[in-house]
Parts: sequence; C-alpha cells; structure tokens
Amino acid sequence: MLFNSLEFFIFLPIVFTLYWLIGNKRIQQQNLLITVSSYLFYGWWDWRFLFLILFSSIVDYTIGQKLKITKHPARRKLLLWVSICVNIGFLGFFKYFNFFVDSLIDSFTFFGSELKINTLNIILPVGISFYTFQTLSYTIDVYNKKLEPTKNFLAFMAFVSFFPQLVAGPIERATNLLPQFHKQREFVYSKSVDGLRQVLWGLFKKVVIADNCATYANMIFNNPEDYSGSTLLLGAFFFAFQIYGDFSGYSDIAIGISRLFGFNLKRNFAFPYFSRDIAEFWRRWHISLSTWFRDYLYIPLGGSKGGTKMKIRNTFIIFVVSGFWHGANWTFIVWGALNALYFLPLLLLNKNRVNTNLVAEGKYFPSLKEIFQMMTTFFITLIAWVFFRADNVTNAFMYLNDMFTLSLFSKPEILPFTILGLLSFFMAIEWFGRSGEFAIQKIDFMNKPIRWSFYILLIILMFSFTGEQQEFIYFQF
Amino acid sequence: MKKFIINIAIFLVPLLVVGELVARYNHVMSEIPRRFIDSHGIQKYIPNQKGYWQGGEHYWEINSMGWPGELPKDFNNLNVIIGDSFIENFMNPIECHQSNYLKKLMPKYNFMEASRSGVTFIESLEISKQTDTLSPIKTIIFTGPNDIIESIEEIKKINDATQYSINQNTIIKGKMKSPGLKKALYSMKAIYYLYNRFRFSIPKIKKNSKNNSKPSQNKYKKNLSKVKLLLDYVKLNYDIENKLFVFSPKTNQDIYMLFKDNAFNVMLLDNSKDDKWSFDHDPHWTCYGHEQVAKQLKTKLLEDSMIIN
Repeated sequence: MLFNSLEFFIFLPIVFTLYWLIGNKRIQQQNLLITVSSYLFYGWWDWRFLFLILFSSIVDYTIGQKLKITKHPARRKLLLWVSICVNIGFLGFFKYFNFFVDSLIDSFTFFGSELKINTLNIILPVGISFYTFQTLSYTIDVYNKKLEPTKNFLAFMAFVSFFPQLVAGPIERATNLLPQFHKQREFVYSKSVDGLRQVLWGLFKKVVIADNCATYANMIFNNPEDYSGSTLLLGAFFFAFQIYGDFSGYSDIAIGISRLFGFNLKRNFAFPYFSRDIAEFWRRWHISLSTWFRDYLYIPLGGSKGGTKMKIRNTFIIFVVSGFWHGANWTFIVWGALNALYFLPLLLLNKNRVNTNLVAEGKYFPSLKEIFQMMTTFFITLIAWVFFRADNVTNAFMYLNDMFTLSLFSKPEILPFTILGLLSFFMAIEWFGRSGEFAIQKIDFMNKPIRWSFYILLIILMFSFTGEQQEFIYFQF
Repeated sequence: MKKFIINIAIFLVPLLVVGELVARYNHVMSEIPRRFIDSHGIQKYIPNQKGYWQGGEHYWEINSMGWPGELPKDFNNLNVIIGDSFIENFMNPIECHQSNYLKKLMPKYNFMEASRSGVTFIESLEISKQTDTLSPIKTIIFTGPNDIIESIEEIKKINDATQYSINQNTIIKGKMKSPGLKKALYSMKAIYYLYNRFRFSIPKIKKNSKNNSKPSQNKYKKNLSKVKLLLDYVKLNYDIENKLFVFSPKTNQDIYMLFKDNAFNVMLLDNSKDDKWSFDHDPHWTCYGHEQVAKQLKTKLLEDSMIIN
C-alpha cells in the first residue's frame, strides 16, 4: 500500500479512529491493532511476504529470550550468529543471490572460462533491507546487554512490522522504539497536529518535488546521448531533488503518522543539501542508516581509533557496504566508494567534525563562504548521484564524460521553469525552517488563518502540480 | 481527540471550496456528459450539453438528439455512423469528427453520428433500429472484437451494457450504474480528480496483468461459437442489408472472418504503413487518424458502389 494512494487514505483514518477510540487505554489492544493493520498494509503488496516477516519476528524474539537465559559467552555468540545468518541470509538470498551469480559468471568469462549457473526468478520483498536491520539491532543490543529482551511477543511483532516505517524506514533502534510498545500511548493534541503537519510536508515533497523531478530525470537519464552537457547536469540536479524529495518525504510521512499514533521515531534527514562539507552531509542524510552502520559495523571494526590504514580501511568498508545495502548493482558500490573518497581527506586531516552546528545559525542568509561550501558539497554529491541513478557503471562514466564537455556551458535543451520555480519555493521553505525537525514544524508563530492558508496552498500545489504517480524509490532497497 | 477531528472537519471545508475553484479554473478533469435511458432502453446523453475536455482547448457538445457532435443541416442523402468512444471523439475538436471529414470528402451526402463510449456491438444495432427511421442510405457501424464479445451475456455479464442472452435468445437492456453517485462525483471536480489520481493500485495491477495479448486472442477463439449464435440472431432480427461493419486495424482475424463468412458487409481499416493515428498515451485517434479513416471509408463506399461520387 503506497502512502500516496487512495487505499491508504481510507486505511489510515480507519486505523487511527479504531486505535484511539477502541484501543485507547488498553495497551494490548493497541499493539494488536497495530500488528494486524501493519500486516494488512504489508500484505497489500503480496501476502506471501507476510510469512517472511513473521518468521523473522519469531526467530529474533526466540533468540532474544534465549540470550537472556544463556550465560555462556560462546553459546551467546552462537545465538547472535544464528540471528545474523538468518536475517542476512534472507537479505542475501532475496536481494543479492542473482547479483553474486552474475558477478561470478562474469569473472569466469573474464578469465576465459565458462561457468553455467542459472539465476533465479526471485521477487524482492518490499522493505526487506529496512526491517532486517531493525530486527538485527534488537538481537545485537540484547547480546550487548544494552536492551532487556521483551517477553511480550505481540509488542515485538508490532515493533518489527510497525507500518509507518516498515517498508522504507527510518530504521529504528530497538532501544528507542520497542520500549514505546510497552508503554500506554496517550492522545496528545499538539503532537498529533505536529504529526499531521509533517505528513503534509512529506506528501508535498513526494508528490510535487520528487514525482515532477522524476519525469525530467528519467527523460534525461534514459537518453543521455540526445542532450548537451548542461542538460545532463540538469538531469543530475533533478535526480538529486527526486531522491531527496522521495526519500525524505517518505521519512516525514512515516514519522508524522507515527506521531499520530503516539510514537516518536528518530529523525532521518536534517536538510542535507545545506551541508558545508561531505562529513556534514553524511550526518544529515539517511541518519538512521548511517548511525546503524556506525554503531554496528564501524565501531566494532575499530572505528577511527586505530592508525591511518585502519581509518582508511574502515571508512571504505562502511561506505561500500552502505552502497551495497542500497542494491545489488556495481553502481551502488561505486557510489559508496566515491563518497568514501570524498570523506577520507576530511577524516585524515581531522576536519570531519568542523561543521556540526546549523549553517548560518540565527541568521536569515548564509555568508558567501557558506554559500560556496554548500554549493561545492552539493555539486560533488550530484556527481555521485549519477552513479546511483545510472543503469550500470559504464553508462555513468559515459554520462559524466558527455556532461563535462564544452556543451556544459550551452543553454539546456530542457528548461522546465515551472518545476524550477517549485524547487525554489521548496528550498526557500526548507532554508527558513531548517532549525526545526522538519521545514514547516515551527509554523506555529503564524496565526491560524495564515497557517491554514499556507496548508491549503501546499495542498493546492500538490493538486495542481502533481507529477506522475511513482513508487517510492527506496521501496526497492 | 474530539477537538482534533472537529478541526480537521472544519479545515476540510475551505480546502474543498478552494480545491473546487482551482480544479474548475485549471480544468484538471474533463467534464463528463450526463446520460439517461430513452424509451427504447438506449443509453444516450441528455441533449444540448456542453463541456470541456482536459488537455484540449475545445469543448465537446451533445446535440438535440442526445448524440455527440453536430447534426447535419438536412437528412436527405443521409448516412449514419454508429460507434463507441472512437466515434464519440470527445478528445478532438468538433471539426475532427468522422461526419465532418466524410462530408468534406463527399459533399453530396449528409452524415449523422450516433455514438456513445462503451456501446457494445449489439447496442449499436439497437441504435440503428432508431436511426433507420430516418431512412439512411447507409449505416456505418464501427466495431471491434471486444465490442462483439461484450455483446454476449454468457461470456461476461455487464449490467450497464446492452447484451444478447444466448440462453433466453433475447436482448437484455443495460441499466445505468449508480447514476446518482456518478452525477455527484462528476459534479465535484476536486473529488473526482483525487479519485482518478489516487485510484486503488492493486486492482489496477491485476487488471494490467491480464492485458497481455495471448490470453485475449484465446478469448476470441474459444468464444467463436457464441459469436456465431450472436450473428445468427442479428441476421434474423436486424436489417443488415444497408449496414457496413468497420473493424479497427489489427483486429482479431477469427472474428473478422466469421463476419465475412456470414455475409456481413465488412471493412478492415489499415494503418500498417502509418502508425501515427493515435495519441501518444491514448489509443483513440487524433484528427489525423480520423482523417485517414474517413479517406479509407470513402474508398470502400465507392468500391462497393454504395455511394456515387
């Protein structure tokens, strides 16, 4: 079920009303309702996916219980590895099996011999990368004794399948989300209004920004040979906003809906395109995944505490794995490696934590230096997005090769002023709202008629400039 | 909770008002003409309506007889054209209707259209019973394999379409499907737009998955015996002497040949050397496509000596 679909507009009010009217003050009923509605939400894509999520829940719940009673370190480690193998095994099979087989065949062909292995016709379950990492965080935290395993299986099922963030995150930590299923949720008016406001902003990002940019990004990326360098640059620019609007829009909707149900999810995006260097960008982009890799991969590998070689190795590992997490394609691996290359100089010069505050904090406009820094950071991420978007690495290099020609300085063949106008409006709102959790969070200073007029304006813009309906990009991951 | 729901309800009022104004001003949805069922059980449009077509700068018009397009200035030397949404042709300006192109090509004759989207083959013949009272020289019925299959109740029952029942050997007249609800939905442009924009995605996927060509070809083949019974009924109950049945290009050959073998006067449109008849994202014909159809039709009518140039 898509957030931007009619069925979800019917589903959400029904679940919301039942949740607060029937389930109010009865924690088990609330959890049951969340589990049933989450399974319905997920099963709407394909009911067979439900067995996978149920199996994953049973395995990790059972291992959590066993870890509690097992004192022997070797046995505890074994239990942890069972959980990792099951979860990563599912992920590996559904997402990466064909990639590994193809890569193996290609390697043999490269060395002049032929390998005959058939790939499988596997359907990738929606959001498997997200809930796999979420359940893994539970087992690892229980193993590390950072979290007491839950005895309540229903609460655990609700935690794993929680529909607002099930298919595209934010990837929640068990330490943050699971305890919320053990507490009574109370309806708080201001929290619900705030949630609804975030949903509205998320929908605007998705329907107006991402879907419209997608039309042009697809047009240009599908036929790059037809366009000049300036148009190719514009294509990458549109893709940068497509992916930002799409993914951060989904996160906003997920966080907003969770607030409607009385939950607090972690922030996933913090205005990343206002970053002054790539380290800041990575503290602001897909925060739940970056911190997951930091805590469960980078730090266990030694982090940046070792020597220079270890720093370089660990940085490459975390970025390449992060790229590979996005999909079974070399493009994502190159995208990750390229970001590692961007990041390493800052890390090695110990300048990766220079820009930890808000850009132009307390000011209306940034300084010229800040503008230059933001533009440079945006430009290098733009180059990396070309790899992320291209069908294969060769196409990405060809795209960049065609882009960096003299035609880069010509007038683009495609110049959609309406979309560029909408993007300017969007970025202005983001800029002035950057001190909030999301751009329009602090709109409360306006009086009600102006505030409501602004909401209506956003809805009318969605209404008038809605792009062609597209699935959220991150569903495929 | 109560305050929250009340505030949302209050917020929806100005939102719907502004949304409706914007929807109407921007023409985000086409206006849909209202229908009624006449005394003969034929679904027609309420006469003398006018409305805009989304994406175009033209208005569609329903004439005083309840059919889209203009009526001829007089009914002498009349030829009638019956068909579905292709002939209804809301997506093009009135100058691009078949009757206009044919009139330009054959000025001695008059042409009148009687069309409505979704008409079945058998419904076209029911309409022809009415138009026969105008004593036309020829009645040209545009049809296709789907219109023929949908004419038979035993293949697929469609409540709002006129069908032939093989078991009862009679015509079952179509009924209007939720006319009140449709009227309300079509009147509220903002709601109608949202309904269209955010349709249920699952049924859409299921529907699409059926759209591959192999099963649909089988559908025609396995129902040929039923189509034969339909044609037997038509020959007995309708005057097919002055009728020309025009089939769309790339039509199913089994069905087409069955018509031919049963002595129906048929014509198969040909766009094999010209693939520019339709819109990019809509199978309906553009003005150019309609013009080409009219040219082929004229040739056929001359060949068969149905008309004199």
